[in-house]
Amino acid sequence: MIEIKNVTKKYPNITAVDHISFEVKDGEVVGFLGPNGAGKSTTMNMITGFIEPTEGQIIVNGFDISKKPKKVKKQIGYMPEGTPLYTELTVKEFVSYMAELKGVESKQRKEMVKRVIGEVGLENVQNKIIRNLSRGYKQRVSMAGALIGDPDVIILDEPTVGLDPKQITEIRNLIKELGKKHTVILSSHILSEVSQICERVVIINSGNIVAIDTPENLENKTKEKNTILVTVEDPKENMKRLQETVTEISEVKLIKDNEDGTKQYAISSSGQVDLRKKLFEILPKQEIVIFELKKSESTLEDAFIKLIDTTSSEVVKDKEVSKDKKVSKDKEAEKAKKKENKAKEKEEKAKAKKENKKKGGDK
Amino acid sequence: MLAVFKKELKSYFLSPIGYVAIGLFLMVFSLFFYLTTIQSRNIDLGNLYFNTARYGLLIIVPIITMRMFAEERKNGTEQLLLTSPKSITGIVFGKFLAAVALIAITLIISLMYYVILCFFQAPNIVPVLVMMLGFLLVSVAAISLGMFASSITENQVISAIITIVFLVLPWFLPNFGESFTLIDLMSSYQKFPAGVISVQEVVRLVSFAAVFILITIIIMQRRKSVK
Repeated sequence: MIEIKNVTKKYPNITAVDHISFEVKDGEVVGFLGPNGAGKSTTMNMITGFIEPTEGQIIVNGFDISKKPKKVKKQIGYMPEGTPLYTELTVKEFVSYMAELKGVESKQRKEMVKRVIGEVGLENVQNKIIRNLSRGYKQRVSMAGALIGDPDVIILDEPTVGLDPKQITEIRNLIKELGKKHTVILSSHILSEVSQICERVVIINSGNIVAIDTPENLENKTKEKNTILVTVEDPKENMKRLQETVTEISEVKLIKDNEDGTKQYAISSSGQVDLRKKLFEILPKQEIVIFELKKSESTLEDAFIKLIDTTSSEVVKDKEVSKDKKVSKDKEAEKAKKKENKAKEKEEKAKAKKENKKKGGDK
Repeated sequence: MLAVFKKELKSYFLSPIGYVAIGLFLMVFSLFFYLTTIQSRNIDLGNLYFNTARYGLLIIVPIITMRMFAEERKNGTEQLLLTSPKSITGIVFGKFLAAVALIAITLIISLMYYVILCFFQAPNIVPVLVMMLGFLLVSVAAISLGMFASSITENQVISAIITIVFLVLPWFLPNFGESFTLIDLMSSYQKFPAGVISVQEVVRLVSFAAVFILITIIIMQRRKSVK
């Protein structure tokens, strides 16, 4: 178990990690998610004992890293960002050097090196010099370095960066396998990866934890209102008047104007009503041909962007408020007014268009 | 310590550095062998070791030491070292001893000059061994200085320049006062070339090395709170 209590890392000009706390249970696979510069690597470096937190406590399996660094380091396998390797060594030499550093006894070393090289799929290249290997293989070598010595905890810093899609799936499967036997913490800014591999996600932004939850819960939490995507052929432009006939619709938004004459709209409803059935019945009556009809699902991607946007805008707002409450309030009022004016203008335009059309029809 | 030592020594010979260092060293040795013995018809090897120590180490030591920590820092491999359960003292000594071993190898090869002289008139072997011991101690001191220079930067060139400056500077310091000669490594290599072991010189060289090894250990230990 890893406990991170109130950990802070300050640099002269910047606070990289700001009082974060979380726990990772034994055998759990936890994803560390955040935009570049959020403090992911800094946190990982602190857990591995590479850097020292300015404040706070990190406890791995009951040992405090600042008090018993050797014991903690022995239990952690670390694959640093950018896969640093001794490129002049061969794969086998490197892995066996890492085994020596980890304190694996010489009797078991040979066998363990062989096993780990097999686990990460490096048998074919084990006698090649690391410098000449492709990036995917280098990544595996680095992972072998993290696995050697059978550590309880494996920490992987952006394990799939710079790999091609095939290599990415291979590494992901490897991590899934690892998750069965070890506690794994991995960082990434690719969300689909984290939702596939991890049981829990820690989202971090500018040094603060924004959310800790399962990928599913995060998706549900940030779900948009009921929105349906329809692709239709609508020669008479009846879609615009749909809101008049179906009262539950709160908004009809054109998303895409396809080259084949079809258009994609996003239709949102106000309450928790599923409009799919209704639309399927009504649209043909309006001489609209449906090509595609589906519920828009919020992805972890949306959740992530939403969470990060809200936190950063909150920070900005807080700053504004503290600077000058009145000014920000005035600004907000102004913005609201502008919005109102725009809406009015739109309505007027729409009315004018309708009138024109009617006139045209009369003629 | 042993793991780091073995790997470092191996790395010297996996990259050209080990061969370049030994090759250059032997070139300087041979040059001075020609100048101090063959040309001047002298069977005393003292001048050979003194001059090589003075000029040869100036080139060789930076080549050997510049990569020690600077390269690891630049490539990020120091993360592998510093997150391993090995102690920093062990890591520093492992690297240090590997560099010393490289010089020791060269010194053993330098015995060939003695063998060459044996064809003409065999000099006494004991003074030659004393000269070599002194040479090794001067090298140890110079390597500890170079290692320190490598631990404070991630740029190997800067590390090499710092080492050279620190080795050359003392040559001019006597102009400012007698006490400055104490930090001149060559001032502690005066009696060895004559085949005499001087306690004073041994203590000076060893303590010089100890100071810089200690500073390097402290710097590496401080790295985790400074980074």
